[in-house]
Amino acid sequence: MPIKKMNREKESNNKGMTLIVKTITRLTVGLILLYGIYLVLHGHISPGGGFAGGVIIALSFIHLMLAFGKDFAFKKLSETKTHILESIGALLFLTIALLGLSGGYFFLNFLSRGEPFKLFSAGTIPLCNIAISIKVAAGLFAIFVALVLFKGLREE
Amino acid sequence: MSEYILCLGLFSIGLYCVLRKRNIIKIIIGLGIIEYAVNLFLILIAYRTHGRAPILDKAQDTLNIVDPLPQALVLTSIVIGLAVTALIVAIAIRIFEKYNTFDITKIRRLRG
Repeated sequence: MPIKKMNREKESNNKGMTLIVKTITRLTVGLILLYGIYLVLHGHISPGGGFAGGVIIALSFIHLMLAFGKDFAFKKLSETKTHILESIGALLFLTIALLGLSGGYFFLNFLSRGEPFKLFSAGTIPLCNIAISIKVAAGLFAIFVALVLFKGLREE
Repeated sequence: MSEYILCLGLFSIGLYCVLRKRNIIKIIIGLGIIEYAVNLFLILIAYRTHGRAPILDKAQDTLNIVDPLPQALVLTSIVIGLAVTALIVAIAIRIFEKYNTFDITKIRRLRG
């Protein structure tokens, strides 16, 4: 019983999970974020792409929120910032699609396609992937935040 | 053929979970199992014997790849499934807030 009490006291002045979880999170969260970015940037030449990479980027922030509590995660990516990023992702995708109209039709690949199987190739497709990943990452994090704040609303 | 039957089995497990369980959380898990059974079925239809993943690569020829179209469809289906699950979870939280229970037999105000 005293141990439990001590733990509770520790949690009250130091929000989030235990020290073990926090240490592991500190080590892995950057790697998860980097892997998501890698999947997005290589989306046009290997499996992955905007959605899968965006989900993994969102998971890194969710991981942070689960381990350190919501205040710490909001310091990295606040709620208003999430909404702004979500809108930016959608607008970026629409802008890329509309820019194609300058050459003739919607979604025209107006940039040079480059060599196949190279990182800088495929014209606007990597840019679309980046826009989708921003949208998906911000959207998924916003869903999680909405569910978390829902719980807080009930407790008040 | 046996893999389709196994797929049907997975679907039946999900259906049993939805129809028979009383806890809303278990019903949501059952819906997830149904969703994945359908996704697995669509992917299995596209499979060709000894086919490989439909990824273009420098060193490989494009012979005997599996059909990529159902895979694109299933990717969209997974995204929609995610949104549907989030919606159902939100509704479940609302129900818990209102009735203080996850048991569907105790939620009586919608009866009749």
